[in-house]
Amino acid sequence: MRSRFGLLCAAGLVAALVYPLLFGGPVALLWRSNYAVNTGFLILFVAFIGQSWNIAGGFAGQTSFGHVVFFGTGAYVSTILHVTYGWNPWLAWPLAAAAGALVGWMIAVLSFRAGLKGSYFALITLAFAEVFRILANSVPITRGGLGMLIKADPRPENFQFRDAISFYYLALALCVLSIGIAWWLTRSRFGARLAAIRENEDAAMALGIDVFREKVRVLALSGAMCAAGGTVYAQKYLYIDPVIAFGVDKSVEMLLVSMVGGAGTIFGPLVGAGVLHIVGEVTRDLGNLVPGVKNAQPLALIVYGAILILIVRYLPDGLTSMFVRRGRAPRNG
Amino acid sequence: MSGSIRSTGLSRRRIGQSALGLAAGTLAFPAILGAQAKAVKVGLIHPVTGFVAYNGQQNRLGATMAIEDINKAGGIKSMGGAKLEALLGDSQSKVEVGVSEVEKMNEAGVAAYIGCFQSPVAIAATQAAAKYNTPFLIDVAASDLIVKRGLKNVFRMKPGFGKCVDDGIAALGALSKGAAKTAVIVHENGEFGTGTAKLLAGKLPLIGIEAKEIIAHENPTRNFDNAALRIRTAAPDIVMMSNYGNEYMLLARTLFQQKVNVMGMFSVLGGGFNYKFVKEMADVSQYMMDTNHWYNPRSATAQALKKRVEAAGSLFTFEVYLSYTAVSLLADALERAGSAEKDALTAALASSTFKADLMPYGPTKFVDGQNQGGVPGVMQSLKGEIEVVAPAEFSSATAVFPRPKVS
Repeated sequence: MRSRFGLLCAAGLVAALVYPLLFGGPVALLWRSNYAVNTGFLILFVAFIGQSWNIAGGFAGQTSFGHVVFFGTGAYVSTILHVTYGWNPWLAWPLAAAAGALVGWMIAVLSFRAGLKGSYFALITLAFAEVFRILANSVPITRGGLGMLIKADPRPENFQFRDAISFYYLALALCVLSIGIAWWLTRSRFGARLAAIRENEDAAMALGIDVFREKVRVLALSGAMCAAGGTVYAQKYLYIDPVIAFGVDKSVEMLLVSMVGGAGTIFGPLVGAGVLHIVGEVTRDLGNLVPGVKNAQPLALIVYGAILILIVRYLPDGLTSMFVRRGRAPRNG
Repeated sequence: MSGSIRSTGLSRRRIGQSALGLAAGTLAFPAILGAQAKAVKVGLIHPVTGFVAYNGQQNRLGATMAIEDINKAGGIKSMGGAKLEALLGDSQSKVEVGVSEVEKMNEAGVAAYIGCFQSPVAIAATQAAAKYNTPFLIDVAASDLIVKRGLKNVFRMKPGFGKCVDDGIAALGALSKGAAKTAVIVHENGEFGTGTAKLLAGKLPLIGIEAKEIIAHENPTRNFDNAALRIRTAAPDIVMMSNYGNEYMLLARTLFQQKVNVMGMFSVLGGGFNYKFVKEMADVSQYMMDTNHWYNPRSATAQALKKRVEAAGSLFTFEVYLSYTAVSLLADALERAGSAEKDALTAALASSTFKADLMPYGPTKFVDGQNQGGVPGVMQSLKGEIEVVAPAEFSSATAVFPRPKVS
């Protein structure tokens, strides 16, 4: 079973590596399509930031409604260092991740010292994200609502790429790394302690686990990952403002892909991101195809919502639970 | 067999002739099809879902009406009557979705894009289109950043917020003649509202007005009671607003209900100053003024289009005629380029002297993608109607300033 699972993972990785070569690169093997490569990028990118949520919310049970606070921190730190202080964005990137870890540590210390857990913790993260958004709107260093524009200079040494394929492989590397971290969590003592905390905090404490310390550590780790995603986003789209960087929709997206795919599973965010993104793309096109209705696009959201309801209704543990129930995939798959 | 042929009067020769004719016709048919000019695809990217869905749908309405009109009039004549074909995209108010639409439409073979209503989406989408050297016409999006990045593929007919602020300040100065001394600026806290407010605060002193307070608000905001109280406390002569539709109307109604007396309410790019607001809340909107994109009230073409839009049950909002104008500009450029080839089309747009019939604009002249002939109008709500009070050559009424006190 284990070797079969490993084989599946290897096949998936090979497929992910080959995918952009079908539509891009020096010789597109099928046909040239930056749209297909870009869609692949978005799936992997959302899977990566979704995994950052999953590590805190899924593995450790620390559900957050405001994970975008880390995303925005990363986006702003690297952009400010790059645009205002002339740093190379590659050098600014680890600092952005460190800033995300610091914010995660700060939120965790403040919240968990105050004894917040469950829905209270979820709400306080939402509040933090809003505070950061308002701050970004108010302080001069972020240029407030005017936003920050990164000068287009598409050179790899400048963390900007002329072709879509480079960003795809960057997102793939991040996604694989995040899956590796999730896999490690299922096998390490740290991950076991997080699982214990998730299942029953009091029992974990009784077992001698330093619950506070473990929760702070996992939120710092999650924050660093999400902040790294923020930098990638800023470098890809070259413009951020407080709503883009700290808007609640990103938090919802991270949470949604993990929940739909399977919170607390290794591949949940990737499966969720893939399914939700493809459903989103297809339904957006369906809006164009409804005959006789000029403005059918809003209908796409209704279809999208209905599909979400069906998934949540029939697969409350996420899409990956389909395989677990049939006993065809190993635990945490 | 032969008898039956004879009985119908068909000789062997005639059958042969018919067969030849049929063969010729069959062969000719594809030739006729081939002679039909290939449609020119135009990508329309607007937020037709999300919190500014109404605005995006109005943009789409204007653009699709223009495409229908151009096609009915015979298409692009220099391209053998090529029709325009709209590809409809929904940005969902998200930057990444807007960029995704650009990529998708590029593969569908668009000759040009038109969009995006929101400045952040426009900034990223134009950048994505620049990779393919595809012209991108901005119908609505106020930020001046859009045309200040040196992108050769970006063209904006309408004035940006810099020009709107300059003209608005000049008009306010001419009306006030030194009577107004203070102002409070209320703006949405996004790129458009913040940028406009910042420019306003910097330029108001030029006409002897001090910005006493600048109040930023969220999108959406559902209650302006506190903002109204702050305005009442500051007791300014002028309240200036720069925000989207719903917040604009709600703030105006709150100030009216709380009987906040000021010399004037003067907005720059007030998103809610439209027929819906002025007709449905005639008492609230009375004497309010706005500097904004407006059609030329003296243009017969604009009046005819307004009637058509209203007859179809929609409002003739600025999105409609700006998108209509953007499509007309594109059609004019295609006509002159005689081709949808990107370099030729970009060159035709860059050298355009298009006369925008609907708008009170001078001759089109693009400098770094920004049309220098674009000017905003200054409007005032008077008895449930929107009247143009400046510039004088397009005005339909004289401004009432200061406004009579609310009792």
